Amino acid sequence: MSEPVVPQVLDVSRLAPPEPLERVLDALADLPAGRPLWVLHRREPFPLYDLLRRMGYGWRTLGEDPRVEILIWPLANPPSEAELAWRIPS
Amino acid sequence: MAAPLFALLAALILVLEGDQILATRWSPATLATIHLLALGFLTQIMCGALFQMLPVLAGSPVARALLVGRATQILLTLGTLFLCFGLYWGHQGLLVLGGLTLAVCVLLFGWAIGAALRRARGAQYTVMAMRFALIGLFVTLALGLFLIAGLLGAESVRFARSDFARWVDLHLAWGLLGWVGVLVMGVAYQVVPMFHVTPGYPRWLMRSAVPAVVAGLLIATLAMGLGMGVWAGFGLALTGVLVFALVTLDRQHRRERPRVDATLLYWWTAMTSAMLAALLWAWGGRAEPIGVLAFVGVGIALPSGMLFKIMPFLSWFHLQYRQLSGRRFDVRIPHMHAFIPERSALIQFGLYLVSLVLLLLAAIWPELAFSVWLVRLGGLATAGAIGFLWWLQLRCSAQYRSFSRRLA
Repeated sequence: MSEPVVPQVLDVSRLAPPEPLERVLDALADLPAGRPLWVLHRREPFPLYDLLRRMGYGWRTLGEDPRVEILIWPLANPPSEAELAWRIPS
Repeated sequence: MAAPLFALLAALILVLEGDQILATRWSPATLATIHLLALGFLTQIMCGALFQMLPVLAGSPVARALLVGRATQILLTLGTLFLCFGLYWGHQGLLVLGGLTLAVCVLLFGWAIGAALRRARGAQYTVMAMRFALIGLFVTLALGLFLIAGLLGAESVRFARSDFARWVDLHLAWGLLGWVGVLVMGVAYQVVPMFHVTPGYPRWLMRSAVPAVVAGLLIATLAMGLGMGVWAGFGLALTGVLVFALVTLDRQHRRERPRVDATLLYWWTAMTSAMLAALLWAWGGRAEPIGVLAFVGVGIALPSGMLFKIMPFLSWFHLQYRQLSGRRFDVRIPHMHAFIPERSALIQFGLYLVSLVLLLLAAIWPELAFSVWLVRLGGLATAGAIGFLWWLQLRCSAQYRSFSRRLA
């Protein structure tokens, strides 16, 4: 049996630039080692992807404007099936 | 960074040629001023914005952006100067040189941006608007070249004197509505909700406003070619702009945070000016106030307001990127708002507003004894506003370079 998902969710969908980017970077720095982060955004954050690539994170984006979910994880710790399947509640 | 210099040159003509400039749209000084603003200031910033926005909004960077961007800027700078001095001095050689240089510039720009737009994903309505805007730019250029050929008396482009003004109107409509208007709409769909945390634009508007403008312009062009009236086409295009401006003001009114910043003030000014210009145009008002509303009320306002957000964001973002890449966490990067302080931005907006009001008063009442002085004072205020804008840009850029060196 897979571990139960304990999601760490960050909602940046009501923030103006550059706060969403700042909050995501802060949240990643504070994240328990190896855990993934779910981000709720209002649009696809293309500039964030460049930074994630540099920092050694993987990501997967679902949905479209104005509701986009981004799952971010350290490349060394890929998410489990259960984590990949989990969605942020509406 | 070069764009404000063109607006400064336009302001200088306003000061020196105040008696000519708003009396008639056909004076050489007026034509030169309009093209300095439309090409040197507005189009230059819009082209630069497309290079910056495509990767951010649609995840599609322009291939060889630095090289193509530099080449486009050089061609646009030279083409604008040739054309504007050609119009100002009535110099045929400069007009031809200007037209050809701008043609090469637009082809190169269109090729590079068109390729990036083909790869674009997401932001469906914005990408659609950008594609239409590119078509608008091509048609504006083609009509401009046609008008230059007509001015030079080319055998194949003989039109009656009365038709000349109608072809100029069509050139103006494609430039203002098809290129500037459509691109502003597409960009607004993304940046208005993003910068001021407003509700998104309604889907019905994003589906219909840009197609209405383009369809209206096509109908007007077809009618013009067939020798028929263009008002049905222009009416449709102007309705698209009017509805877009109204919805934008409504979205901004419903923003999450009640704070008013310089960018928001610029947007309000631009949308109000766009609506007034559209209504005046539809009711057959005089061209001069419409010109001031379109070129100063929208054409100077929107790029200025957007620069106050985009330049600090890009400076902050690139420093973040460098910091993370180099793992230089000992350097504390300033907050985005420190790159252009809000107080300075508000003072700059105040100066701009004075220039708009003075020029508008002069354009509405050219018969007033002191209207020439209104134009000259308006020109001085424009120079002050643009000079201050330029200084704020330089300061932002210097701050970026200073931190960039520390992160190296």
